[in-house]
Amino acid sequence: MAEEKRNSNDRLQEFALKILKATIKGVVFCGIYFLLSMFLAPVLEAVPNALQIIEIFVVVYVFLMIVGELTKGSIFHHFFNAAKALFSILYLALCLNGGIVGTTVQNASLVVDLRLFLVVAMLLGLLGFAKSVLQAINFLNEKTEHMRF
Amino acid sequence: MKILIRMIGIATTLFWIFLIVFFISAVYSAKDIGFDFGEPQVDLSPDNKILFSLPITIDNKGYYDVGSFNVTTEISDQEGFMITRASTFIPVIEKGRQIVATHKDTIDINALLQKSQDYLFKDTELEVRETVSIKLADVIPVQASTNLTLPWGAPLYNFTLGRSEYSRFNGTHVTATVPIDFENHASFDLAVIIRVYMYAGTNILVGEGQTTVETLQNTPYHGQMELDIPVDAIGESGHFEVYFFTTFFNFGPLVIPYG
Repeated sequence: MAEEKRNSNDRLQEFALKILKATIKGVVFCGIYFLLSMFLAPVLEAVPNALQIIEIFVVVYVFLMIVGELTKGSIFHHFFNAAKALFSILYLALCLNGGIVGTTVQNASLVVDLRLFLVVAMLLGLLGFAKSVLQAINFLNEKTEHMRF
Repeated sequence: MKILIRMIGIATTLFWIFLIVFFISAVYSAKDIGFDFGEPQVDLSPDNKILFSLPITIDNKGYYDVGSFNVTTEISDQEGFMITRASTFIPVIEKGRQIVATHKDTIDINALLQKSQDYLFKDTELEVRETVSIKLADVIPVQASTNLTLPWGAPLYNFTLGRSEYSRFNGTHVTATVPIDFENHASFDLAVIIRVYMYAGTNILVGEGQTTVETLQNTPYHGQMELDIPVDAIGESGHFEVYFFTTFFNFGPLVIPYG
C-alpha cells in the first residue's frame, strides 16, 4: 500500500515536472515571439494578415510543443514532434504561397521572393522530421530490449 | 543512435536560430534603407532625343549590403505599344554608404511619329510602368512596381492654316498671306522650320514658302507666312502640304485642304 502510494506520488511529481517544463518552454517561445514581432512590426504592418498568419503558427506550434512535452516518455512524444516538424513545413509552404509573397500598397505592388528562405526552412523542417522518426525508432528499440530483459 | 539524434537536434536548432536571426535582421534593416527620387528633368540628348532624367539617392543605413538595385521604366501608349524602355542598375550598395544615381530615359519623337502623327498635334496620355527591385542582404529579392500616367503635350497642338488673304505683287503674281496658329504644349521649347507648299486643283504647285518659328513651352503661336502665287490660282480650291523640321523631329507632309 505504501509502495503504491509512493509510486503514485512519484508519477504525480513527474507529471508536475513535465507541466513545469512545458510551461517554461511555452513561455520562452512566446517571449521570443513577442520580442521578434516588436522588431518586425513596422514591416509586418505593410503586409495584410501577416501578423494573424504568424500568430496562428505560433499558437499551433506552442500547442504541439506543450502536448509533446507532456507526453514525454511515450511514443506519442515523438508523434507530436514529427507532427510539429510537418506542420512547420506545410504551414510555411502554404502561407508563403510557394515563396512569392505579394501585396499592394496604395498604387504600388510589392513582391518579395522568399523561395530561398522557404527551401532552407523546409529542409530544416525535414531534418526535424527525420530526427523525430529516428527518435521514435530508437524509443521502440529501447522498449523492446527493455521488455526482453 | 542517440549520439546521431543529438547531433541532428543540435545542428537543426543552430541552423533554425541562424536562419531566423538572419531573416529578421535582414527584413528589419530594410526599414533603414532610404530611397529619394528627385525632381525629374527634361533635356535634349546629344542625339537629339528627349531625355528624361530622374536623380535617385539610395542611403543604406541597414545592417547588410544591398545588391542588384535596378530601376526600370517602360513607357507605352494607351494601346500598349512600347515607346521606350530604360534601366539603371547598381550591383552593390554597401552598408553605411550613400549612392546617387541618375536614371535616364530617352524618347525618340521620330520613332513615335511612325506610330501616329497625333503625337504632334493632339495631347494624349502615356502609360509609364516603373519597377524598382533590390536584393535585401544580397539574398532576398524584393520588387516594387507601379503604373503611372504621363501627360503628353503636343508640340504643334491644334496646328491650323487660316484663310489666305491676297495682295498684288506684280502683273502675274499675288502675295498670299497664310495665318498659322498652334500651341506648344510640349515639355520643351520648340524651334521649328515650317515649309509650306501650295497646290491648286489637281496637284499643280502654285507657290511655296518657309518660316522659322520659336515658341516657349506651353505658349500659343499666332503668325503668318507669305507665298507668291499666280493670279489665276486665286479662288481655286486645292491643298497645302506642310513640312516641319526641328532638332527633335522632321515631319511631313501634313495635308490641309483649302477653298
